[in-house]
Amino acid sequence: MKELSSKGTASNTYGFYSLTLPTGQYQITAQYMGYKPEIQQIDLSEARKIDFLLESHENALGEVVVTSQRKNDNITKLEMGVQKLDTKDIKNIPVLFGEKDVLKTIQLLPGIKSAGEGSSGFNVRGGAVDQNLILLDEATVYNASHLMGFFSVFNSDAIKDISVYKGNEPAEYGGRLSSALDIKMNDGNNKKISVNGGIGLISSRLTVEGPLLSDKGSFIVSARRTYADLFLKLSKDTTFNQAQLYFYDINAKANYKINSNNRVFLSGYFGKDVLGLGNTFGINWGNSTGTLRWNHLFSDRLFSNTSLIFSNYDYRINITNGIELNIISRIQDFSIKQDFEFFLGSNNTIKFGFNAIHHKIIPGVITASSTVDMKTLTNKFAWENSFYVSHQYSFSDKFSMEYGARVSAFSSMGPGNFYTYDSLGAPVDTTYYKAGKLVKTYINIEPRVTFNYILNQQSSVKASYSRNVQNLHLISNSTSGNPTDLWIPSSNNVKPEIADQVSLGYYRNFNDNMYEFSAEVYYKYLQNQIDYKNGAELNFNENVESQILFGSGRAYGLELFLKKKYGRFNGWISYDLSRTERKFEAINNGSYYPARQDRTHDISIVGMYELSKRWILSATWVYNTGNAVTFPSGKYEIDGKTIMLYSLRNASRMPAYHRLDIGATWIVKKTPKFESSWTFSLYNTYGQENAYTITFQNNEDDPSKTEAIQTTLFRFVPSFSYNFKF
Amino acid sequence: MRKNRALLFTILLIAVLLTSCQKVIQLDLNTTIPQLVIQGDIYDEPGPYVVNITKTVNFDQSNVFPPVTNATVTVTDNEGQSEELSQATPGNYVTSTLKGIVGRTYTLKVTIDEKTYTSVSTMPEAVEIDTIYLKKSFYGGGLIALDLINPPNKDNYYQVIHLVNGKQIPGFSVFGDKSTQFESISYSFMTTSATPPLVAGDSIKVWLECIDHGVFEYFRTANRDGGHSTSPANPVSNITNGALGYFNACSVRKKVFIYPEEKQTPTAVN
Repeated sequence: MKELSSKGTASNTYGFYSLTLPTGQYQITAQYMGYKPEIQQIDLSEARKIDFLLESHENALGEVVVTSQRKNDNITKLEMGVQKLDTKDIKNIPVLFGEKDVLKTIQLLPGIKSAGEGSSGFNVRGGAVDQNLILLDEATVYNASHLMGFFSVFNSDAIKDISVYKGNEPAEYGGRLSSALDIKMNDGNNKKISVNGGIGLISSRLTVEGPLLSDKGSFIVSARRTYADLFLKLSKDTTFNQAQLYFYDINAKANYKINSNNRVFLSGYFGKDVLGLGNTFGINWGNSTGTLRWNHLFSDRLFSNTSLIFSNYDYRINITNGIELNIISRIQDFSIKQDFEFFLGSNNTIKFGFNAIHHKIIPGVITASSTVDMKTLTNKFAWENSFYVSHQYSFSDKFSMEYGARVSAFSSMGPGNFYTYDSLGAPVDTTYYKAGKLVKTYINIEPRVTFNYILNQQSSVKASYSRNVQNLHLISNSTSGNPTDLWIPSSNNVKPEIADQVSLGYYRNFNDNMYEFSAEVYYKYLQNQIDYKNGAELNFNENVESQILFGSGRAYGLELFLKKKYGRFNGWISYDLSRTERKFEAINNGSYYPARQDRTHDISIVGMYELSKRWILSATWVYNTGNAVTFPSGKYEIDGKTIMLYSLRNASRMPAYHRLDIGATWIVKKTPKFESSWTFSLYNTYGQENAYTITFQNNEDDPSKTEAIQTTLFRFVPSFSYNFKF
Repeated sequence: MRKNRALLFTILLIAVLLTSCQKVIQLDLNTTIPQLVIQGDIYDEPGPYVVNITKTVNFDQSNVFPPVTNATVTVTDNEGQSEELSQATPGNYVTSTLKGIVGRTYTLKVTIDEKTYTSVSTMPEAVEIDTIYLKKSFYGGGLIALDLINPPNKDNYYQVIHLVNGKQIPGFSVFGDKSTQFESISYSFMTTSATPPLVAGDSIKVWLECIDHGVFEYFRTANRDGGHSTSPANPVSNITNGALGYFNACSVRKKVFIYPEEKQTPTAVN
């Protein structure tokens, strides 16, 4: 609002906003990151509905953004511990294999750390990889990685934007301890049909979008496939040249505006990884999600969003070796979600809603072509119901708060056998529950509150407290995420994980909001954390719950962030100083020890420079302390084999990690009808030999000596791709 | 287990694809005070049986493990047999009269500097090796496998030890039928492309041990000593008081397999 510079509002994720003003003449500016701001003159004498259609910034590349009052959003907005990225903003950042990737780019932001070299897995504020809620158009994505994590499942051509809430998410999000990652798919161009795509070294992609039913809606279809296995054909080794190794994924979305009060969306994702060896061995895995959503305006103050959501993750293994053997595992959700937003005034909003999810987990079924009797693990069923209410209110121009709570009820249920275990993990009792019979219900209240005190137009102080509860737990004991890692629900043996987080932040902008600075500190206490007994058998074990240990944890840290937002040169510096620890009675004599993902220092520097209208250069540099790991403290011999002696868990460190990536974009042609560009990147530019794993073994030539062997994955990985749009 | 192999293969494939490199590095590893390692076997064949006691060394030391020479070692069974073992060579304590008998439960007691370590192991019924044969691996190359008839209605655990031309190949091969009551089991215990590769006429002596659950758990977890676990740990020992190692009362059956001439695979002649 130009006339009332302090007035303003943010639309919700579906673009709905509400503003209450006295009658009069106003000039409204609508803006959104990555898009050109739009200004409309209005004469407000009665309630009015004004829709804005923003144009992508791409056409305005390099132009300085029109100044407006709300460039200090980070100061005034009532949210903290949140990072937002638009896919348009990340397209110049160099990444591994040149495949731009939102999950890898967010790892360059404060508080979010990579789970490993080239990995799309990430740790938020000391949390584990499975403590991130990853939502694609509201549907949970259970395994967000392709090819063991070297690619994420999110094709950035199909993604509009991404918001990461680092533990203090609003009450409408819940279900994971560390973070909520809300990823929205592109809605598609509703003005004209357009096609864009890219041809790269190991993958290609194509997107078609356009209007639907005479401008009342739009659609987008985006597909991508890698062809890494074509390189395997060059191998002389028959084991490799008959192998298959690829993934593909398809995103599709359509929306239709029935009338000014009703709009429907349908979106879906389907992806698959395929790995095979001739016709003797094969494994494939993938996610599929679907969302049907209805936005409805009951009045100009009450907004409703209703969604029906489906999510599925499964893997299949096929082995043909004399007999044919199939192994199938799956997790499948059906859910309904209802959200209301009630705008009481321009800065007085109530949000409430509910969510009901039915989970079905098939831990594993083996079928064989022969008559051999194969056992099947008991399927697991659960209901996850929750409702929430939150109130956002401004006491004055300076002081505002949002407070609310989420109540979650999680029930594990039959049909199936439920076990109780003795202290050694041996089953002592088995009870069969009939279909639909509730075995154990956990009800948790999760309070959330955020305060914002605006010191002046350039600076503010914010504080928050939140509790999060997690009832689905990923059972994994490998350093890289495996497609066969298993989700298990809370049950009579497994309690919900609980995290309480307090945080405090200071936000300051400089030079007419050209520079944005923030400093946040947090402390998090974790209950019912999961680890495994020594030598735990996690694969295909009916009694996997008996292999689990429960403990507590804590994480605390400081996050500094400085960003230059505009100009030919822009980018950011992010620094974390943090500690994350766990405490289990059976590990390290019950004292706190560093979690694997504990890294004292973590630095990311991102720079982008527009050299000319045709060339954009970019670079990123990262540095972090090595992960906490368990290295041997000695050795001994059993039956002629040297065995490593371990004493304390995670008492050693991997070597520190650092890497520089550079990239360049060359815009060959840019007209309204046709655009084309080349992107080049060089990952690990100075060839740092970073340790991916360190293993210990006897020297082959002199077996009386034992050595540490470091494996490095990537040094100097060049890539290029050709991109087009018409 | 098959899943693990599949994943191992995947990692291998990706590693090859991505031109990874390996090198030996120097690490400043933590050290601990030397710990006790006990290893004892009782078989259902005539003794003497040996209990070997050594200590651990630091990682950077050479693989010479100091023997423990001041131990008092006794083995008893649940039918009244009892014997104090005598030290034959440093660290090696041997029996002279004790007999290993199927079905009996044996107790090992080791006392060193007034600290006592005990372990209990029960000797299961023996199972014969049905056949040993060569088969094709679906990863390429050949595998040597054995077949056995699995006794029904109980949990069975096995360990396979093999010697090539009289030399024992280090490594632990254990398997069990806990999750599935198989009628017969085929178990591949070595590849023909082992180092050094097998040649025609090589003699492979195979021991099939029937072991109890505690021993099985020891060797199963000892096999986990890999770099891909997030939390490597010491094997789960069946000896009390924090001693490393195992005590194993097992029945054993042996068979010899002579590696045959390579089968001629049809190849194109130019």
